[in-house]
Amino acid sequence: MSRSIIEVNNLSVRYPLRREPAIRNLSFKVAQGETVLILGPSGSGKSTLVLTLNGLIPHDIEAEVKGHALVAALDTATASLEALTSKVGVVFQDPEAQFCTLTVADEVAFGLENLNVPREEMDNRIRRALEQVGLEGMEHRSLLRLSGGEKQRLALAAILAMKPEIIILDEPTANLDPSATAAFFRMLAPLRGKHTILIVEHKLDECIDLVDRVLVLTPGGSLLTEGAPRDVFATKSARLREYGVWVPQVTEWALTLRSRGVVMNPLPLTVEEAVRAAHLLEIPVSLRRGNARTLASDGALAAQVRSLSFTYPIGERPALRSASMEVPGGGLFALVGPNGSGKSTLASHLIAINPPPPGKVFVFGQDVSPEAGMSLARLTELVGYVFQNPEHQFVTDRVYDELAYGLRVRGYAEEEIHAKVQELLEDFQLEALAEANPFTLSQGQKRRLSVATMLAVGQKLLVLDEPTFGQDRLTTDRMVSRWRRLQEQGITVLFITHNMRLVLDVAEKVAVLSEGRIIYQGEAERLYGQDELLRRARLMPPPLYQVARALEGTEINRSAPLTIDADDAGDHRL
Amino acid sequence: MGLFSYYEQDSFLHRLNPTIKLLAIFLAVMVLTLAQDPYTPGTFLALVLLTLWLAGRVPLKVIGRSLWPLVVLTLPFFVFNTLYFDVGRAANPHIWLHLGPWIVAREGAVSGLALSLRILAFIACSLFFIATTDPSDFALSLIQQGHVPYRFGYAILVAYRFLPLWTEELAAIRAAHRVRGVGGNGGWRGKLRQFQRYAIPLLASAIRKSERVAIAMDSKAFGAMPDRTYYRELQVRWSDWAFLISALVLLAAIFYLLTVLGLTSGFGSLPA
Repeated sequence: MSRSIIEVNNLSVRYPLRREPAIRNLSFKVAQGETVLILGPSGSGKSTLVLTLNGLIPHDIEAEVKGHALVAALDTATASLEALTSKVGVVFQDPEAQFCTLTVADEVAFGLENLNVPREEMDNRIRRALEQVGLEGMEHRSLLRLSGGEKQRLALAAILAMKPEIIILDEPTANLDPSATAAFFRMLAPLRGKHTILIVEHKLDECIDLVDRVLVLTPGGSLLTEGAPRDVFATKSARLREYGVWVPQVTEWALTLRSRGVVMNPLPLTVEEAVRAAHLLEIPVSLRRGNARTLASDGALAAQVRSLSFTYPIGERPALRSASMEVPGGGLFALVGPNGSGKSTLASHLIAINPPPPGKVFVFGQDVSPEAGMSLARLTELVGYVFQNPEHQFVTDRVYDELAYGLRVRGYAEEEIHAKVQELLEDFQLEALAEANPFTLSQGQKRRLSVATMLAVGQKLLVLDEPTFGQDRLTTDRMVSRWRRLQEQGITVLFITHNMRLVLDVAEKVAVLSEGRIIYQGEAERLYGQDELLRRARLMPPPLYQVARALEGTEINRSAPLTIDADDAGDHRL
Repeated sequence: MGLFSYYEQDSFLHRLNPTIKLLAIFLAVMVLTLAQDPYTPGTFLALVLLTLWLAGRVPLKVIGRSLWPLVVLTLPFFVFNTLYFDVGRAANPHIWLHLGPWIVAREGAVSGLALSLRILAFIACSLFFIATTDPSDFALSLIQQGHVPYRFGYAILVAYRFLPLWTEELAAIRAAHRVRGVGGNGGWRGKLRQFQRYAIPLLASAIRKSERVAIAMDSKAFGAMPDRTYYRELQVRWSDWAFLISALVLLAAIFYLLTVLGLTSGFGSLPA
């Protein structure tokens, strides 16, 4: 290993008023020029580690730090922030909350100004940095006119201009759609080796081929293991699964096959490697779906949208252009499409947040338009709607009251309310928190509570806006099994997502929005076979699907389940 | 494009140094506060809007749309000032009519008009500045020419950047509450309770977002050194001085002219 640029030695970080440290006795080294992926479930201290490595902890953010973190030969606890921030650059998750100026060039200049870079040098450094991220010529563009993907690339350019030795990316693609995510990581490839790069990320399929080494944190914030990705996934897969850490999809597939006696060597991480390995082993592959469920419905529709067009009062372009969609009753239905394609706008019409004109939107056969006589009270008994930020929906200061709220405004009897609330508290594992203030819950608990409040009065259609956003694997798996249980109770679930793997795994039907139009509606596996459509909607099939397609002439048979078979040994569910 | 906000354009006024422009407007407002008659603010109003249109190249339609709601807002000032005017204060009141307990006199109407025009002239001055000043130029100029500490200047800029986000956030919260079945019922008391409900999630997300942006800024060495360089350096050019001097001359001329014509009755002398 060449000279190490980061040396973390027995590091513990504890925030004030917390009993448990966020990071515990952490020790590791990173060599100059290495690209290291940091994995760990929610709450394992990944963000704390990032802020300790660039010195904001303890310089800016109060915390008790034990042990040492040496970065480019500087001790982060004692070196000046000026020295540290010129060595370590960080790209954060939220594209809205990391800029402080109004135009592209000003934003890139901001860090240079802080470091007292002479003005004559700035033009060159700004131009160079924008070229590196593919934003050349956009110097004078207003930040308001950038897409989410462009914003994250700009955030990286602002860091690159400061010429840091170390770049840390803290879930940089959490808010991005699949093609913007891919574009972000593509741009990172030429930077490998020139900078030392640390990546914190849940989306492994997109970035694993850039990574030299993986570092895994435990839920308690200590180090589980470190090593080459292949070794870590091969030796610690059980533990990773237990912690709820994402593993690349093809790797997971190969591990499943291995447990059934089919050993791929080396363990594949990317689609190409998986295809090669499968070729060598002559694994027969057929594209069938492992978990296809026949809908237990009588063909009745949970929701129907008939050629709906909509333009926001201040919008320049229409958000929806005669969009039509049919959501079958009793299923799990996915709504996908690039950022800004109108997904939330379309979904919000189902509950008349944007009230549609009559004859356009129907829920269980009833017109939701106020002009057709639908009251909000009645509609909210039919449809539950969970927003992306669960906090927005909280209207009381007690979990119990939160669940009782919908029942109380409808004048239910107090005993009835109590019984129903108890049932929901148990169903959603919130019993211990009945007295807590909703705002003090963890992110996962908030989300559970917001879903529970939306089922209190017997809603039969549940609409979820990006429910898996930024979640680790364990939380996502639990959420999906909850949806399945709801489905068994006859509830239709419609979810908006960027997670293509989830769509293929769980959705019976999927609708694709692109520029306000529904351009596809039907089975997920059929969608992923249509390259032109995918390109238009800036979507990408999940890795395992790509493997299957590369290995087969892709005859998709809907009646048989979609699986990738390895003789009879493996029938791994997609 | 929102009302009463920056109007993107390339014009003489847009190119002025923001601090100098602010100084000129400040002086104008000082003179205005002293005037008690309707003619001074009236002339001001006309001049400011004319300059904004011709030298700022802000279309009359935009000016009109921004000012119109505020004209309506000043109407009550006019009405109340007219009705409650103390007729005893005028030496020789011209009484128009008696309305129950109220006496409507010419002097009252003039004083009401003076007040309304003064408010409108203040508003026009603000519009003059806001419509022609790029917010980031303003922050930079405050730091570079106004010698405001740069941390403070950037606080203004960040606040401005976040304004549209709050509007979005509030709309989302409102929609989320509607979905819970929290309706707009029950008069002002209900409205107040609704406002309280909005305030907590809005505040929670405001605090979180500002923490994040502060962390992102400090991660880029903001405030790590006592000084910083600037990519864009705003200058004070001869045209800025020319603007300031002509504004001063104009202010003096208006005052002189109105005095000569005897139209500034009560100027500078506040009624007892």
